[in-house]
Amino acid sequence: MAPPAQSQRSSSPSQPSGKSEVSDLKLQLRQLAGSRAPGVDDSKRELFKKVISYMTIGIDVSSLFGEMVMCSATSDIVLKKMCYLYVGNYAKVNPDLALLTINFLQRDCHDEDPMIRGLALRSLCSLRVANLVEYLVGPLGSGLKDSNSYVRIVAVIGVLKLYHISVSTCVDADFPSILKHLMLNDSDTQVVANCLSALQEIWSAEASTSEEASREREALISKPVIYYLLNRIKEFSEWAQCLVLELVAKYMPLESDEIFDIMNLLEDRLQHANGAVVLATIKVFLQLTLSLTDVHQQVYERIKAPLLTLVSSGSPEQSYAVLSHLHILVMRAPYIFSSDYKHFYCQYNEPYYVKRLKLEMLTAVANESNTYEIVTELCEYAANVDIPIARESIRAVGKIALQQYDVNAIVDRLLQFLEMEKDYVTAEALVLVKDLLRKYPQWSHDCIAVVGNISSKNVQEPKAKAALIWMLGEYSQDMQDAPYILESLVENWDEEHSAEVRLHLLTAVMKCFFKRPPETQNALGAALAAGIADFHQDVHDRALFYYRILQYNVSVAEHVVNPPKQAVSVFADTQSSEIKDRIFDEFNSLSVVYQKPSYMFTDKEHRGPFEFSDELGNLSIGGEAADNVVSAQRVEANDKDLLLTTSEKEETRGSSNNGTDYTAPYDSSSTSVFASQTRMELEISNPTSAGHAPQASLGIDDLLGLGLPAAPAPSSPQLKLSSKAVLDPSAFQQKWRQLPVALSQECSVSPQGVAAFTSPQALLRHMQSHSIHCIASGGQSPNFKFFFFAQKAEETSNYLVECVINTSSAKAQIKIKADDQSTSSAFSTVFQSALSRFGIP
Amino acid sequence: MPVAASAIYFLNLRGDVLINRLYRDDVGGNMVDAFRMHIMQTKELGTCPVRQIGGCSFFYMRISNVYIVIVVSSNANVACAFKFVVEAVALFKSYFGGAFDEDAIRNNFVLIYELLDEIMDFGYPQNLSPEILKLYITQEGVRSPFSSKPSDKPVPNATLQVTGAVGWRREGLVYKKNEVFLDIVESVNLLMSSKGSVLRCDVTGKILMKCFLSGMPDLKLGLNDKIGLEKESQLKSRPTKSGKTIELDDVTFHQCVNLTRFNSEKTVSFVPPDGEFELMKYRITEGVNLPFRVLPTIKELGRTRMEVNVKVKSVFGAKMFALGVVIKIPVPKQTAKTSFQVTSGRAKYNAAIDCLVWK
Repeated sequence: MAPPAQSQRSSSPSQPSGKSEVSDLKLQLRQLAGSRAPGVDDSKRELFKKVISYMTIGIDVSSLFGEMVMCSATSDIVLKKMCYLYVGNYAKVNPDLALLTINFLQRDCHDEDPMIRGLALRSLCSLRVANLVEYLVGPLGSGLKDSNSYVRIVAVIGVLKLYHISVSTCVDADFPSILKHLMLNDSDTQVVANCLSALQEIWSAEASTSEEASREREALISKPVIYYLLNRIKEFSEWAQCLVLELVAKYMPLESDEIFDIMNLLEDRLQHANGAVVLATIKVFLQLTLSLTDVHQQVYERIKAPLLTLVSSGSPEQSYAVLSHLHILVMRAPYIFSSDYKHFYCQYNEPYYVKRLKLEMLTAVANESNTYEIVTELCEYAANVDIPIARESIRAVGKIALQQYDVNAIVDRLLQFLEMEKDYVTAEALVLVKDLLRKYPQWSHDCIAVVGNISSKNVQEPKAKAALIWMLGEYSQDMQDAPYILESLVENWDEEHSAEVRLHLLTAVMKCFFKRPPETQNALGAALAAGIADFHQDVHDRALFYYRILQYNVSVAEHVVNPPKQAVSVFADTQSSEIKDRIFDEFNSLSVVYQKPSYMFTDKEHRGPFEFSDELGNLSIGGEAADNVVSAQRVEANDKDLLLTTSEKEETRGSSNNGTDYTAPYDSSSTSVFASQTRMELEISNPTSAGHAPQASLGIDDLLGLGLPAAPAPSSPQLKLSSKAVLDPSAFQQKWRQLPVALSQECSVSPQGVAAFTSPQALLRHMQSHSIHCIASGGQSPNFKFFFFAQKAEETSNYLVECVINTSSAKAQIKIKADDQSTSSAFSTVFQSALSRFGIP
Repeated sequence: MPVAASAIYFLNLRGDVLINRLYRDDVGGNMVDAFRMHIMQTKELGTCPVRQIGGCSFFYMRISNVYIVIVVSSNANVACAFKFVVEAVALFKSYFGGAFDEDAIRNNFVLIYELLDEIMDFGYPQNLSPEILKLYITQEGVRSPFSSKPSDKPVPNATLQVTGAVGWRREGLVYKKNEVFLDIVESVNLLMSSKGSVLRCDVTGKILMKCFLSGMPDLKLGLNDKIGLEKESQLKSRPTKSGKTIELDDVTFHQCVNLTRFNSEKTVSFVPPDGEFELMKYRITEGVNLPFRVLPTIKELGRTRMEVNVKVKSVFGAKMFALGVVIKIPVPKQTAKTSFQVTSGRAKYNAAIDCLVWK
C-alpha cells in the first residue's frame, strides 16, 4: 500500500477552491481506513492534519465525514484528538452521519485510560446535535461518578453542554442535583469550580420558570456554601478563585463581624499575581462594605496600591482592563486618589486607549492642591504629535477649569492655546472658552479680546465654528466687527455644511441684531431668507420661528432669543447616578469597560446572536444617546431658543395636547405694530419658501405617525369638518412641506366679497364659521395671502390650504394639500363654496 | 458569570484565520469576518482593545504578528479574559520553545488545538499550568508508531496531577544536583517634565527563580529587615523616613506562595514549580536613586529642522559600571534625514520605530 504523498504544508496556504484537494483527501483516507499496516498512523496523522488545516482556513471538508469516522478506529491519542475536533466541528451540519461517531465515542468513554475517557466524553458532549442527546445521558452519568477527577471535570461541563442542547433531558436525568452533591463533596477543586459555574448557569436560566430553581440559586449564595468555598479558596486554581470570588460578592452577610471575617480571609488575595483574582477580590470588598461607609473608604485606601501595581504591569491591554476599573473607582471617590495623580501621567509610548482613560482620571482627581501640576502636565500633552490625545488633553484642561473655583491660570493657558495656530488646538480651545464663558461670564473681557483676533476662516470644525459664532452673537457689543464677521458668514451660507453651525448663525445674528440693529439689519434679513429656504428641517423651522416672532413683537422676540442669562453653575452629567450604580454593581465585567450597564449591550443578543449589522450596535446605545441629547439640551436651557426647538418637536408629536389659544392666527393687527422695514423684507421671503417647499412623499407622514389608514371615499359630497380643529403653526409648516399638492385651482370671489375685503379679519371670521381656520395671513392690497387648515370631523385628517386672493381681479388661487388625498376634491368644493359665499350675508 | 470566551481566534496580520476554536454556540461563525471588517480594516485597530460589534464583544491583543481575538456575547470578565490570553501565550511559548508568531502557529496548529481543548472548556478557563499540561500533552505524540497498545502507565499518573492540590508541581522529580537561581530584575520608570524636573519615578522589580530541586521542597525566602510593606494603617501616619528602610508600595506573589504566612511572618514560603518562574513582583515609589541623569535640550530650527542635544550622566558610584546602555530618542514620523555627533558609541536612525538609537 503506497503511503500518501507527504507534502509539506506550505507556510501560507493559498486559498484553494478546495474541491480537488478534498476529493483527493477522500480517496487517500479511504485507502487508509481499513489498513492495519505499520506506519499507517503516521500517514493518517499527516492526512488528518491536512483536513484540519483546511477546516481552519474555512474550506468545507464536511464531505469527508464518513471517511474520517472510518479512520477514527485508532489507538493513537493525537489522531483521536484530531478526529474528535473534526467531528465536533461538523456534527452539527451532518446530524445523520454524527450518529456513526456515537458508537466509537461511547466505546471510548469506557476506555481504561482516563485521558481517553475524558476526551471522548468531552467530544460526545460537543457534538451539539439535538437528536443524539439520549446517547449522552448514560456516559455523562457514569462520568460524574468516575473515579478519576479528570473525567469528572469533563463530565460536569458536559452536563452544562447537555443543558444547552436539551434542557428537558438534562433536568429529567436529575443532573443538577448530582452536580450540587458533587460541588459540596468532591475532593477535587476543579470539579467543584466547574460544578459551581454549571449550576450558576443552569439555575439562573431555570429560575424564571421554576420556583425550585430560583430557590436553589439563592441557596448557592447562602452562608454554608459560601463558607465552604471560602475555606478552600487557596486550593482553587486562579481561574476558579475568580469564579468563587464572583459568587462571594453576591453574598450578603448578616452581621458586620462576618464581613470582617471574610475580608480578613481574603486580604492576601490582593497580592495574587493574577490581576483577575485581585479585581474579583476588590469587588468582594467593595460589595461587602457598601453599607459601612467608613469601612468602605478604608477599602478604597487598601485597594489603591494593588490596583496601581496592576496598572503598571502587564500588557497594555491588561492595564486597560484594570484602568477601566480604576477609572470607575476614581470617578466614585476622586479625593482618595488625588494624591496619586502622578500615576495617571501618560508615558509617550502608551497606546491611545490607555492615555485617554488616564486623562479622564487626571481630570477627575484634580483639586485645589494639585490642579497647577496637573494642568501644567496636560498642557504638555496639548503639543503632542498624537492629535486625538492633544485634543483630549485640551478638553481635560477645560473640564478642570469648569470644576475649579480658581481658574485664572487655566484661562490664561486656554487663551494661549488659541494662539498656538494649530487648527485642532484652536478648535478645541474655542469650544472650551465658550463653556467657560457660560460659567464665568466675568472672564468675557479677557477672552473676547483674544477670540476677536481669530479669523473665522481658520476655523473649520463645526463645533468650534458654532462656538465662535455663539461668542460673536453673545458678545457682539464688545466686539467691534462682530456684525460684519457674521454678515460675511451669512454670505457663505450655502458653503456651510453643518446644520449646527447654521442654527447658531441664525441665533447669533438675531442676538447681534438686538444689540446693534443698524449694522446687523442686512445680515439678519439675509440670514432669515437663507434659513427659511434651507433644506434642513430644524434650520428652516428656527428661521421661520424667528421670522414669525419678529413679526409678532420685537421686544418679545428679544426676550425669547436673548434673555438675560444666568451663569451656569453645574453642567449636566451625562450619566445618571442610577446607571453609575448599576455599572458599579457589575464591577469586574464588561460593563465597566463600556461604561454602561450590561443590559444595554447584552439584551440584543437574544434577538439573534448570528444577526449582524451596525444597527444593532447603534440601537443598543440608542437609549443612552437619547439621554445625552436631552441632557445636552438641558445644559443649554438658558439659551431659550434651543429649548424651544425641543418643545416644538414635542408639539408636532402631539398637537392635540395644545391649548386652542395657541392656534390663534397671527392677525394683521399685530403685524402692523411691527417695524415696517424689516417686515417688508421678511414678507417677501416667505412666499418663496412656501412655493419652493420640497414635496416629500406621503411615506414620511406615515413615519411620523400622522398617517391614517386610507379612509373610505366619503359617501356624501358634503364633508363634515370639525369646528374645533387645532393645529399649531410648526406642525402646519411641517405638513405643508411634506404633503404633495392635491389640488390647485383658481376660482373667483364674489364682487360682494371683494367689497367686503377691507381687512383680512373679516374673511377669517367668515371661514371660521365654516370650520376652516386660518393659521397665517399677510400681504398688502391687492394681493392677500392666507394659509388655512381644517380637520375632518371625528378624524384627525387635516386639510391645508394656501389661498392667494387678488382683490383687483376678484380671483383666488387655491392650493390644497391633504392627509387623505381621496377626499381632497370634496374638501375643495366645501372650501370654494365657503369662499364664494364670503360677503354675501 | 466569568465566562472568559465564547470563541477564540488566532489571526495573522492580513486577517486570515490561523486557528479558531468555538467553545459555545452563542456566537456565530461569521464573527471573524465582522472583526476583519469592523476592526482590522478600519483605522480603529489601535483605539481600543475591547470593541462591541453586533451583540458580541471582541477582546483582541496583538502578539508579534498574530492577533488573538476572544469573542463573547455575555457580560464577561475582561480582566480574566486578557489574563487568560497572556497565560495561554506563555503556555504556547513554553511548548514551542521561544517565539510565538504566525509560523510557529502554523507549524504547531494541532498542538494548539489540543491545548485549547484542555485549557478552556465551554468558555471556562481550566488548568493552564505548563508543568502539568506537559505531562499529558506532548509535542511529539510520544508513542512509537509500532506499538498499537498505549503504555498507560504515565497517563493515569498525569491525570492525577492535573487535579492535585499542588497544581504547579509534579511529584517524583529527581535531580542529581539540587540548584536554585535567583535573579532580581528591576526596571526604573521615570517621567520627567520638559524642564528637567522629575514628575514621577517608580521601580517595578521582580524576583525570578530557576529551580531544579528534587521532591516537594518547602522553600523560604527571607527578606531583610529594611524592607517594610506599607499597610493602610501606616499609610496615613507615614513616619518620617529614616532613610534606611526600603518601603515597598505593593507586592504580588506567584500562586505557589503562601500568602498568609507572608503577612504574619514576613517570610516568603512556597513549594516552587519546577523550572523558571516569577516568584514575586514589587513596586517602589519612594526614595528611588536614579542611576542616570538625562539632560535633553531640543531646539527647533525653522519649520523643518530640529536639533536634539542629549547629555547622559551616571550618578552611581565610580566602582560600578553599566553595560548595554541604549538611548532611544523618538523623532517625528516624517523624519527624512538625520545626522549625529556622539562622544562615544554609535548612533543610528531606525525608521521603523521612529527613533534614533544610540548605543
